[in-house]
Amino acid sequence: MSVRVLAIMIAVSFFVFVLDLIRREKLTFKYAAGWLLVTGLGVILGIFDQFLTRFAFQLGFQLTSNFIFFAVSSGLIFLSLVLTIFLCQQNERNDRMAQKIALLEQEIREMRDENSSKS
Amino acid sequence: MNDQKVLVIIPAYNESGNIGRVVREVRSSAVACDLVVVNDGSKDNTVSEARAAGAVVLDLPFNLGIGGAVQTGFRYAMVKGYDIACQFDGDGQHDAGFLNTILDPVKAGAADIVVGSRFVGPDLGWQSSLVRRWGIGFFSWLLSALTGTAVTDPTSGFRAFNREAIRVFAEDYPDDFPEPESVMSAKRYGLKCMEVPVKMRPRSHGHSSIRYFRTLYYMIKVTFAILLNRLKQRRSFA
Repeated sequence: MSVRVLAIMIAVSFFVFVLDLIRREKLTFKYAAGWLLVTGLGVILGIFDQFLTRFAFQLGFQLTSNFIFFAVSSGLIFLSLVLTIFLCQQNERNDRMAQKIALLEQEIREMRDENSSKS
Repeated sequence: MNDQKVLVIIPAYNESGNIGRVVREVRSSAVACDLVVVNDGSKDNTVSEARAAGAVVLDLPFNLGIGGAVQTGFRYAMVKGYDIACQFDGDGQHDAGFLNTILDPVKAGAADIVVGSRFVGPDLGWQSSLVRRWGIGFFSWLLSALTGTAVTDPTSGFRAFNREAIRVFAEDYPDDFPEPESVMSAKRYGLKCMEVPVKMRPRSHGHSSIRYFRTLYYMIKVTFAILLNRLKQRRSFA
């Protein structure tokens, strides 16, 4: 029983933590929505764990805990793939920006040279 | 010859020992061209030495890798409306005496991309170390098999590009070790590649950016990059 209480407490504190992050604008809604969903689901499943047990059994898992480990690790692998996509996108944008900066700097240099030759 | 505007792009990363000489060599060659050095976030005085030698320098705020540096040059060529871009390495391995050799077929419209090769035609001189030649031979075989065009020196960075190739590569150019992979990209975009014989020199100062070459890492990485490049789609640009 105490394990269950612990699980619910952790799930609730994660949920509250995400809410707080949104409130302090540390998370933008684009990313926060998913986290709210996941932590909210955690709280619900923590309270009504019989659904989880039944669902795990129907999928053929002998132990509910095995199902949880399986589901969570699959979820985390998927999440890290998604994060890698974001990372690549940011990287690409960063490179583009660096190239643009170099080109603009050269343009400024040319304009400055033009001006100084006029005066 | 006709009056097509030519831009020589010289990517440079920590090449203060070579860059001044390279810039002067290109400027004093008989070829009518402008020249731009792309400083790829060097930590030495590559920028000041290149400027002192009279080059326009595009100064990247951090290191992008050779692909990103050369691509910066392509973008500059686009903005400035050059007809032909030529990649010329900043380490002094390339011989400006061969600039016309690689420019002429592009000017004549014989190909979209011309690669200066150490291995085609008569043996003109230095051809790299044995291990590198094996590596080059492998990529040569792989690319020829995949693209159907004979490429004998796929790692050569001594290349000329016409307007169409500039336009494509300004938008979509491989990152890390772009030379072999870009042959695959060229095929994907329907750009015609061609090789001409040139002579190269061993570098005199500093380290090659592909000192990895001895390790299997480079081979595997570029092989994967080439194979994955085949899966990519052709992007369309405005």
